[in-house]
Amino acid sequence: RLGIIFAIHHLIPLSIAGVWPFLCSYVLCQLDFWRGPGGQDVPIDVQVPFASLQAVKIFLESNCIRYSILIDDLQVSSLVDEEQTQMIRQHFMPRSVETFNYASYHTLDEIYDFMDLLVAANPNLVSKIQIGNSYEGRPIYVLKFSTGGTKRPAIWLDTGIHSREWITQASGVWFAKKIVDSYGKDPSLTSILDNLDIFLEIVTNPDGFAFTHTTNRMWRKTKSVNAGSACIGVDPNRNWDAGFGGDGASSNPCSETYHGPYANSEREVKAIVDFVKSHGNIKAFISIHSYTQLLLYPYGYTSTRAADYQELDNIAKAAVAALSSLYGTQYRYGSIITTIYQANGGTIDWTYNQGIKYSFTFELRDTGRYGFLLPANQIIPTAKETWLALMTIMEYTRDHPY
Amino acid sequence: MQRQSAARLGPLLLLLLLPLAWGKGPSPPRAAEELQVSNRLAGQAARVALHYLNYRLGSPSALRALGQVRKATLKTIPGIGHKYYLQFTTEDYKSSLNVGTCLATVFYLKRKPRPAVNINCTYTKDQKQIREDDYSFYKKMRQQTKPIIGNDIPDSYGNIEPALEPAWALAVAGSSYLMWEKSTENLGYFMAQVKNVKQWITKDDSIDFDYSVVLHEIPTQEMISCHLRVIWTPGHPLKVKYFCLSENQWSESEEGSGTESGSTNGIFNEKEAHF
Repeated sequence: RLGIIFAIHHLIPLSIAGVWPFLCSYVLCQLDFWRGPGGQDVPIDVQVPFASLQAVKIFLESNCIRYSILIDDLQVSSLVDEEQTQMIRQHFMPRSVETFNYASYHTLDEIYDFMDLLVAANPNLVSKIQIGNSYEGRPIYVLKFSTGGTKRPAIWLDTGIHSREWITQASGVWFAKKIVDSYGKDPSLTSILDNLDIFLEIVTNPDGFAFTHTTNRMWRKTKSVNAGSACIGVDPNRNWDAGFGGDGASSNPCSETYHGPYANSEREVKAIVDFVKSHGNIKAFISIHSYTQLLLYPYGYTSTRAADYQELDNIAKAAVAALSSLYGTQYRYGSIITTIYQANGGTIDWTYNQGIKYSFTFELRDTGRYGFLLPANQIIPTAKETWLALMTIMEYTRDHPY
Repeated sequence: MQRQSAARLGPLLLLLLLPLAWGKGPSPPRAAEELQVSNRLAGQAARVALHYLNYRLGSPSALRALGQVRKATLKTIPGIGHKYYLQFTTEDYKSSLNVGTCLATVFYLKRKPRPAVNINCTYTKDQKQIREDDYSFYKKMRQQTKPIIGNDIPDSYGNIEPALEPAWALAVAGSSYLMWEKSTENLGYFMAQVKNVKQWITKDDSIDFDYSVVLHEIPTQEMISCHLRVIWTPGHPLKVKYFCLSENQWSESEEGSGTESGSTNGIFNEKEAHF
C-alpha cells in the first residue's frame, strides 16, 4: 500500500526552503511530491507512506499548515495499479507541460522532468526509452512517438550532441511538445505518425550539457577521460565509423575535434549506433547542431558525391524554403564538405552509409552575432521555423518509402 | 661577352616584367573559377572582408554582418596566392536590417601574414544617425568617473545588459582587427563572448578599454582567448593591441589610414568590370 496523498495548503507565509528540509529530516525524505512546491498559495500534493503518516500530521498541525486528504488509500499491486498511478499523477499534474517555459533555457534535470511530464500527459503517444548511459553514468533517454504497429519505419531526430549548442536542446523540447500538440490536429503530422514512428533524443550529450551549466558554457565534447592526457573529452561528431580518423578530425585529445581512440569509443555514440542497428528500420536521420544556419547532407569525409546527391539536394532546397517562409531566415544548403568543412567520423555520414538515405544535419541560428549564446527570445522562433523544414523532410520520407 | 648577354637578356627581362607592370602575376594564365554562392570559402572570404571593413570604419554604431553572398569568383595566382572576388549583402550588426551591398576582393597571399582586402560598399543606414550614436556613446564614456566594468557579455543565456551594449559593440570592432589578421583562407573566426571589459579613464580625448574576448575558430572549433586593448576617438582609426594565449607577443594596429594590405571606400561607385 502506497500511502496517503495530502494536499497541503500554506496559510502562513512559510518559505519552501524553510518547510521542506525540516519535513524531509522529520520523515526521512520518504515524501513523494506529486505537485509543487510552487508558490505560496499553490497547494502542494504529497504522497505520504503510512509509516510516516503520524509524524507528518503532527508536523503539519503543530505548524498550523492546513491540509486535506485527497486519496486515503493508494493501492499498489500490479500493472493495473501502475496505470492507475499514472492516471492519478496525470490528474494531479495536468498543467505541467502546459506551464513549462519553452522560451527559456533549462537544466538537464528540468529537461528530464519535462520528458516524464510529457510521457505522463500523453501515455498513448509518447514513451521514454533509455538507450544507454553517458560516460559519467547519466541515463541517455530517447522519446518515442508512436501510434502503434511493430517496428514501423521511423524518423530519428537528435539535438544537443554538442553540449554548448543550447538552442538545439531547447528546440528539441519544443519539437516534443509540438508533436503531441499536432497529432490529431495537423493532418500532415497525423498522417506521418499514423505511418511512421518518431524518435527524439533531446540531450544527446548529457555530461557535456551538465558541464555547460556548472562550469564551462563553451564545452563541446563528451567528458570521457583520455588515456595519457590531461585533456578531457571526445568530439561525438567525429567518433562515428565513417572515414574515421582522417584529416577532418584531430588526433589530439586536447582538440575540440578529437575523434577519440577508435570509432564508437564514446558511450553516447555507441548507444545510438546500437539502437539504430537493432531497430533496422530507420528511414530518416536528422542530427541538429548550431550555429551558422545551414542544412547539410553527406558527405563530410570525402568530396565524392553521395549516390543520392541530387535527391538530397532537392529535399534540402525545399526544406530551406519552408524554413525561410516563416520569418525570412536565410539558410545555405549543400553537402557537408562543400558547405561547411571537411569532417571525418561524422554522424550522418555513418547513418547514410548504413542505408538511411534521408540523412541530414542542421546548423541552427544564428550566423555569428551571438553564436552559441543565442538569446532565449529566439528559442521559439528558431524552433518554429526549423519545424517547417523538419516537416518537409518527414513528409518526403513518408511519401517516398524505400 | 657580358655586354652581349646583357643585350640578349634585356628584351627577355622586359617580357617577363611586362605582366608584373600590368599588376598581373607571372604567366601561365590564371585559373578563374566561379564559385557557388553557398561555397564555404566564399562565405569565409566575405567575412574576412567585413572584419577588415568593421575595423577600418572603427564605429560601434556602423558595424556590419554578412547577409548573403551574391557572387563569388576565385582566381588562383600560381606561386602567389588565391584571390576572391565577392559581391555580398550586409546587415546592420544590431538590428539585422539590410544596410547595403559590398564588392570586395580578398587576397590570401602565401608570403604575407594576413589577407589583403579591398572593399567598397553601398550604405543605406543614415550616416548622421551613426555619427550621433557613436558620439553619444563616446560622450557617456568620457563622462564616467568610475570605470565601466563587466563580465560575460553576452551571458550564458544570450543576454546583454543595455548599458554594456556599446562597449560590446566596440569590442566587436576591436576584435574585427584581430580576426582579420588571424584569418587565413581556411581559418575563420567569430567573436563568441566578451569575458571581461574594463575601462581606463584617460586624460586625453580617447576612450580606452581593456577586453578579454573569446574567439570561436572554424573549422577547428577551438575557443581562443585573447586580450584586447582598444583606444577610440570617433572619426579616427581604431587603435588596437592584442595578445592571444596561443601567441608569444602583443600585436598592434598601425596608426594612420591606408595600409598596404587593403583599402576601403565609403560609397560604391565602381563598375563591375572585373566580374
